Amino acid sequence: MNWSLFFDLTVSGLTLGSLYALVALGYSMVYGILKLLNFAHGDVYMIGAFIGWFALHALGGPVNPDFAGAAVLVVMFLTAMIGCGILGVAIERFAYRPLRNAPRIAPLISALGVSIFLQNSALLVFGAQFRDYQTFNLIGVKTYSIGNLFFSVPQLLTVVAAICLMVALTVFVARSRLGKAMRSTAYDREAASMMGIDVDRVISVTFFIGSALAGAAGVMFGLVFGQIFHFMGFLAGLKGFTAAVIGGIGSIPGAMIGGLVVGLAESYATGYLPQGSTFQNLYVFALLILVILIRPSGLFGTVVVQKA
Amino acid sequence: MKGRRGLIGVLLALSAAFAVVAAAYATPNRAAAPAAPAASGSALVKCGKTRTIGFMVPATGPAVSIGIQQAHWASYYVSQYNKTHKTKIKLQQEDTQLGAPTGTAEALKGAQALASSPNVLAVAGPAGSNEIVGVTKILKDAGLAWISGSSTRTTLTTDGTRTGYMFRTVPPDAIQGPTAANYMINKLKVKNVYIIDDQEVYSTGLADTVQQVLRNAGVTVGRDGVDQQQSDFSSVIAKIPRSVEMIYIPWQLPPKGQAFGNQMKSAGRGSVKLMGADGLFDSSFASVGSHVYDTNFPLNPKSKIVAGFRKQHGGDGDYFGAPTYAAVQVAAEAIDKACKSGSTTRAKVRAAIRGTKIPASRSLIGVALRFNTNGDLATAHKFGIYKSNGSDFQPVAG
Amino acid sequence: MSPDDGIPGPAESAGAPRIGVDEWVASVEEKRERYSGLRGVALREWDRLPAAARVLLCVGLAALFPLVTSDGNVFRYGLFTLVYGLLAIGLNVVVGFAGLLDLGYVAFFGFGAYTYGILASPQYNNHWQAEAAIPVVIVATGVLGLLVGLPSRRLFGDYLAIATLFFGQAFYVFVNNANRIKFPFFGHTNLTGGSNGIAGIEPFNFFGYKVQGTRGLYYLLLISIAIVLIFLFAVHDSRTGRAWRALREDPLAAEAMSIPVNRLKLLAFVFGAAVAGFTGAIYATIATAALPGDYNVGLLITIYAIMILGGFGSMMGIFVGAIVVSSVPELLRSSANARPLFYGAILLAILVKIRPWRRLALELGGLIAFGFAVHAIASAAYPRLTDGKAIGSGLFARALDHWMLFPRNPEHIADVAYILMVAAIVIFPQATGLWRALLLPALLYSVMFVWENLLLQQIGGATRLILLGALLVALMNARPQGLFGKAYVEIV
Repeated sequence: MNWSLFFDLTVSGLTLGSLYALVALGYSMVYGILKLLNFAHGDVYMIGAFIGWFALHALGGPVNPDFAGAAVLVVMFLTAMIGCGILGVAIERFAYRPLRNAPRIAPLISALGVSIFLQNSALLVFGAQFRDYQTFNLIGVKTYSIGNLFFSVPQLLTVVAAICLMVALTVFVARSRLGKAMRSTAYDREAASMMGIDVDRVISVTFFIGSALAGAAGVMFGLVFGQIFHFMGFLAGLKGFTAAVIGGIGSIPGAMIGGLVVGLAESYATGYLPQGSTFQNLYVFALLILVILIRPSGLFGTVVVQKA
Repeated sequence: MKGRRGLIGVLLALSAAFAVVAAAYATPNRAAAPAAPAASGSALVKCGKTRTIGFMVPATGPAVSIGIQQAHWASYYVSQYNKTHKTKIKLQQEDTQLGAPTGTAEALKGAQALASSPNVLAVAGPAGSNEIVGVTKILKDAGLAWISGSSTRTTLTTDGTRTGYMFRTVPPDAIQGPTAANYMINKLKVKNVYIIDDQEVYSTGLADTVQQVLRNAGVTVGRDGVDQQQSDFSSVIAKIPRSVEMIYIPWQLPPKGQAFGNQMKSAGRGSVKLMGADGLFDSSFASVGSHVYDTNFPLNPKSKIVAGFRKQHGGDGDYFGAPTYAAVQVAAEAIDKACKSGSTTRAKVRAAIRGTKIPASRSLIGVALRFNTNGDLATAHKFGIYKSNGSDFQPVAG
Repeated sequence: MSPDDGIPGPAESAGAPRIGVDEWVASVEEKRERYSGLRGVALREWDRLPAAARVLLCVGLAALFPLVTSDGNVFRYGLFTLVYGLLAIGLNVVVGFAGLLDLGYVAFFGFGAYTYGILASPQYNNHWQAEAAIPVVIVATGVLGLLVGLPSRRLFGDYLAIATLFFGQAFYVFVNNANRIKFPFFGHTNLTGGSNGIAGIEPFNFFGYKVQGTRGLYYLLLISIAIVLIFLFAVHDSRTGRAWRALREDPLAAEAMSIPVNRLKLLAFVFGAAVAGFTGAIYATIATAALPGDYNVGLLITIYAIMILGGFGSMMGIFVGAIVVSSVPELLRSSANARPLFYGAILLAILVKIRPWRRLALELGGLIAFGFAVHAIASAAYPRLTDGKAIGSGLFARALDHWMLFPRNPEHIADVAYILMVAAIVIFPQATGLWRALLLPALLYSVMFVWENLLLQQIGGATRLILLGALLVALMNARPQGLFGKAYVEIV
């Protein structure tokens, strides 16, 4: 066993997996409540990455930041999360709420419209060039090594920050009043509204949180991989969606585990399987099919009695 | 209120349908009766004061970052030309969305839009090799010549189906690949090379060529592919054997090359030499470090044209787009020649392009622009080898 | 276009008892009954027409199209609309009739194209006649549909969607890389041409008669559509057709009625796949090539958009949907078309939305006055803002110069204005009463400012896609059941 390769692959998989998990959470939470696949989610993530970039440059840029690197990072995350949260709420209000009781497939097209709109608006306003976070200058890509095993600061930061966010979310959903309202709305929207829960507000909050997490993921992506551009939401959306499904769409812990599983699967597939990096996506999809054939509701999904 | 919403829907639909019909009627194609379309290329076109060149470019979609470079260079040529000539050039731009999840359909429609605009006399672009395969029939049927500034698949010109119609101002893989491979073998003397393509046409073509040459020379070659849209290379990097001395990445998007280089560094493998191809010839890839090499068409960075362009674009070279400048130049000068008598045909323009002779003094690439019978550059048989000085590429003796 | 008018959601009809969504359907149907005037007559007459007459009418109209326009337009508007339309008709059987959310549909389209490409291209040195190749393509794609459908039987709803979505992805990855795979028994064969695809695919050759040229292909497609449609109308009211619809509405109940659910699902799946495969073969002759990128998610989205826009399960709606989705972006390619379309759409929206006409006149007058005022103030205080010129020539553009702001270097101003405009449009529906009336001219002016200074400059690029996105959202807001669709209850 080549432990150095294994370690490298694991670090890479965990980093990627944390990003997927954050994106997947947004998909899963929205699906849990609205039974809607929010195709525009990947593009919210892309906008988050851009907001982070603009925040970074408003604060003097990566080479000469106005404050210490850590403070800049916090500001970047906060602006991206709040900006994306608001964006998410606006999307829901404008594109999904009017379709609340329409056939389920109608909001899909609306979501698609939002996705095309956001992607090309970004192209129009931010331009075609890739933008570079230049993480090397900002926090210094110090590479830690234990013998032959390497990991870098942004990777560590991503995993830790993602875990913190997920813990915070879990606590919020489990403990707070609003979290309780979210769970009951997801369980049965009509019953919840009869119990006096303001369903619209709960949905708005759900969109806010999901989009804020995507925004955070966008900034992390920029920090780890450097390059951001207007088309980046597409692939991330697809992967986040895969992760949500593997974990059991609608389940919050499922989305987290699903993200990590997809990230690690991708990484190990690349490393160990024949033609791994070429057929990486194929291997991940095969895993997905396997999971839903064995457990059609995903790893953590609850089995629902099929009415339809 | 309720009734009106439905009304809007129907009105929108009707107006869309009506608009389609109206536009179909209105399109200025009066010259062409349905039976004898502008197609054959023999239809006479008045040259007038403004001449139109079709320009097919990825203006949206994932490859827009290279499309924008081509657009910059094309419009730079047009602005220079229009400053110094009495007659003017206009570009009719059509978006091809290269690499988009919709495939080549946009390129087909764009090509058809050009084919059926009677004023279009020649086409610059399209950018991608598969786009060319798709649009060949449409442009050929319309008698239009096209000059691509970036499609490098060797067989496009050599398979004989496009002779006389397709030209390119960039040398094909068959020249670039061996140049890179021979440099690795003879100058860098590496014994173990790893090749990673980005699974797009441009990349796999070059990777195959280089792999062949290296194998024949007894070099150990590993091969892998990544998705063009991928940004995380850490697991691919982890897989590359420690014995590898050099990695060849003929990719299309310089920022991806930069990301790869940086991730190599984060993985503690910053000393492995990297080499890209003309797709990565950009300062962002060069900024990875002085262990980065590249091949590029023989662009002369000191030429006045390049200097003028850089001045206008805030120092940016946008080198990948430079051959598109040459493509528009070829088209414009051919149209001038064909238009001597005040009117011309697409066939005459084609003939003029075939006979292009632009002297070295007015050419970007430092040698005269001439085409061989296939439509490839007759003069540029060599690619240049470049090495990064940490921030930009400098030519080295091949 | 305030988003929450029209469809009563739980938030609005707080007073009324609402359980389930049947009431919504009832309200939509009641609305349909109440239509009066020309529109009501037209709708009812349309409903009364026999199915065959409707097909004839649509196909007949489409058949006239090439007679009135040039080859180029037939290609750009006609051919693609028909290709997408035929695909959507096939998909409609799977999704609209049988209720199976198949997201791998374009893979069958691609499979058909590749199969025909292998049978009739110099790349493989096969030159099959069309009368032999087409049945092979159809059967092969149908069998593939069966193979994909078999393991999917267990899966319901969204999970089927996901499984098929990844089948589609797998297909793409496979054809793009098949030249690297070592197959058992065959070893390395260049089965799909890898990322280069298959080039030089030959036109259909029926008994020596070649179907080529834009017009030939157009009529071939039209005839194919007519055949498929007639077949479907026959099926629609047959045992199978009724069983399919029962399946869509409630599989459990259908099964209880001893309808062979699995067999019917597979049948729909196979039928849809075969139609897609056949269309793929036609498309391969249009593109003269089979290229891996052509059968990817983007196309899938387009086809779904067509089907849903037109109206779920409605055959005629598909025609309109195909026209809207494939032609609007095409029309917007040139700024000469884009400007009238844009102002026309705005005017239409105002005309429809604002009543009574007195208020309409006030708003329009306000808008014009507002423009002149802004222009006057700007040219006095910041002449830099009015230095530029409107794109294009003609009376309208020159008139705009005196009314609209055209900054000398609009780039940054316009970018910021664009973001502000989007924000303003999102916030605007919250304004009520007098505020709404007062803010509307300013909002419209800002929209036009952004249009003239930013969007129109990029018309060949991002703008047309932005408009397509906005159109999809707006249309879904206006008619969630699709333009021609009938609302129906959905049990979740």
